[in-house]
Amino acid sequence: MKDSRQLLLANKAWSTELIEEDPDFFQRQTVGQKPKFLWIGCSDSRVGPEQMTQSHPGQMFIHRNVANLVDPADMNLMSVLQFAVDVLEVPNILVVGHHGCGGIKATLSGGVTGPVDTWLNGARAVLADHREEIDAQPTEEAKVNRLVEVNVRDQLLRLAHTDTVQGAFARDQKLILHGWVYDIRDGLLKELLTIERDTDLAAIERPNKVL
Amino acid sequence: MTQSILKSWRADLPASIVVFLVALPLCLGIALASGAPLFSGLIAGIVGGLVVGALSKSPLSVSGPAAGLTVIVLAAIESMPSYQVFLLSVVLAGVIQIAFSFSRGGTLGEFVPSSVIVGMLAAIGLILILKQIPHALGYDNGDFEGSFEFFSNGGNTFSDIVRGVTGGIAPGALVIALVSLVFLFWWDGAQPKTGMLRFLPGPLVAVILGVVLNMLFAVAMPGWHLQPTHLVQVPVAEGIAEFAGLFTIPDFTAIGSSAVWVTALTLAIVASLESLLSVKAVDEIDPQRRTTDKNWELMAQGGGNIVSGLIGGLPVTSVIVRSSANVAAGAQSKGSAILHATWLLLSVALIPVALNQIPLAALAAVLIAVGYKLTKPALFVERYRKGWTQFIPFVVTVAAILFTDLLIGILIGLVVGFIFVVARNFRRAITFACDGQDCLVRARRNLYFIHKYELQRELGRVPDNANVLIDLSSTNYVDLDNVDIINAFIKGAEYRGIDVIVRGDIGQKTAPLINARKTEVSYI
Repeated sequence: MKDSRQLLLANKAWSTELIEEDPDFFQRQTVGQKPKFLWIGCSDSRVGPEQMTQSHPGQMFIHRNVANLVDPADMNLMSVLQFAVDVLEVPNILVVGHHGCGGIKATLSGGVTGPVDTWLNGARAVLADHREEIDAQPTEEAKVNRLVEVNVRDQLLRLAHTDTVQGAFARDQKLILHGWVYDIRDGLLKELLTIERDTDLAAIERPNKVL
Repeated sequence: MTQSILKSWRADLPASIVVFLVALPLCLGIALASGAPLFSGLIAGIVGGLVVGALSKSPLSVSGPAAGLTVIVLAAIESMPSYQVFLLSVVLAGVIQIAFSFSRGGTLGEFVPSSVIVGMLAAIGLILILKQIPHALGYDNGDFEGSFEFFSNGGNTFSDIVRGVTGGIAPGALVIALVSLVFLFWWDGAQPKTGMLRFLPGPLVAVILGVVLNMLFAVAMPGWHLQPTHLVQVPVAEGIAEFAGLFTIPDFTAIGSSAVWVTALTLAIVASLESLLSVKAVDEIDPQRRTTDKNWELMAQGGGNIVSGLIGGLPVTSVIVRSSANVAAGAQSKGSAILHATWLLLSVALIPVALNQIPLAALAAVLIAVGYKLTKPALFVERYRKGWTQFIPFVVTVAAILFTDLLIGILIGLVVGFIFVVARNFRRAITFACDGQDCLVRARRNLYFIHKYELQRELGRVPDNANVLIDLSSTNYVDLDNVDIINAFIKGAEYRGIDVIVRGDIGQKTAPLINARKTEVSYI
């Protein structure tokens, strides 16, 4: 059987099972959405946010890209952010990196070309800002993991500086930004830092090492 | 524990007197029916209260000689060379029960469906009422006290009542029973909640009323005066030596006899079952809804049987009539069970002649009142409201116990109860989806033995020449019978042009057993 057919069948079973548990399950969702989270994560196939948090349809608004980067010039993410904050009024935004991230590895070791090479400029800027600390890490793996962590911090800061987030803070809208990393080795999410309306963005420290 | 016993003595003391009054004729009746010396029933009652009571963690269960064991005991005593050899079996049964306790066998008691337990209690209530009506009428030559059998002595529960009515009612007995009953039901509602009278047990008053009335009959209406056959008959010992002579010790030389061990094992199994059921039932009617440690209870029961056997007593179990009388009389702790045995011991040793003045009709009234509390119409209504899956096992248990006996009735109730439990617990486990020639048979949860039919049926829906994916990824257990069904399907698939692939369980316990191509997520 073709792989794509397997997906379609799995979907049939999924729909059947949920309807059997609750005949109105899907019908109820037709009215709209009111998620409590905007998730900005990596595209890696092993880090599906809804699986690792056991979330159901309607719980999470999701944007994923290579190495979970935030760039004010990226109209894709900026429009997701605008819709989530201004229209859906999500009270939480999560920026989530993960252990052994391929994009971060390529940032350190190079060897990529084309669009990926250009895209990773955002991560290279992080590397440049933390060069000393990354270089001080004993192993190649430790360098990658530390860059994953400081990358989450820096991307969260960039997010905090966007017009959309600053606008929400200015009008006292309920909004907290969370920086997390996901450890593929044990399946656990670990918290790094949070940013709220009254957080002094200039005084944010580097997060503790958790990976 | 000691503190709580002291604290609740105000409730336990009156309750213990009620239980004592109920236990006295039961101990004697069960000994009579078992073909054992009458005193052996009293020993079992005393040991059940003192030894099991002290060891047990059940606050309200009362132990003593059990009607459910009479058939086994009677047959064993008749087939054995002496009563002393039988006593050895009782001791060994106690040892085996302690072994059950260490193997955590008591946990089985928690799996009895509650509709069966409640049915058992309701049936016992009905039986108490029906069996005591002949005694209340003065027909005391039918069953022994405490019998649960439907057929006995060439009649049955109902024909005994008819015989009681037609075979000449003893007017004295009827008057005593009616006066006692009227008093008991009145007192149940009218008993003051404060003052000294709240400690006065109604059954004690009923029994004293019975004794006094009978004495009045002797003087005023000799025709109504009840003869000793209608009264309690405790063995009367003259002096301490004769009293001590009522105790016997086991014959340990018979330890090599296989009959001794077979009887011991039978007693251990049946007594354990009866105790577990009874303790579970008492937990169910405990107003405070405390839960007894069932494994510990087997240990306590084993201890009781060892002691009872060693001094010449019948085997003991936790017994439901005395226990429910205990609950109905408002006992709060096991102080009541221990005290009731103390009263048994003291009264049998010191005032046997006085005990022998108690009319069985007065005790019948006490037991009818206890029975009514177990089988109130409201109980039937409540079960009915819980739906058919609760009501049918309940009614079947009641009827089965009523028309056979306690053990067979409970077994029937358990079988029916478990059919409903399985039906109630069964959930579809398999999702079947087809898209053209591509089909998915997905186990959405574990495939237990009860899913055999469903698995067979869903696999049967796969058309010839299909591509089928069998998805076990949501299971962590697939019964081996179901693995066989899947493998048989895979075997047949070759001949039907069906292409099978399997998505295995994450734990990789079932997947290696299945003879088909696997599809797995690859990470490199």
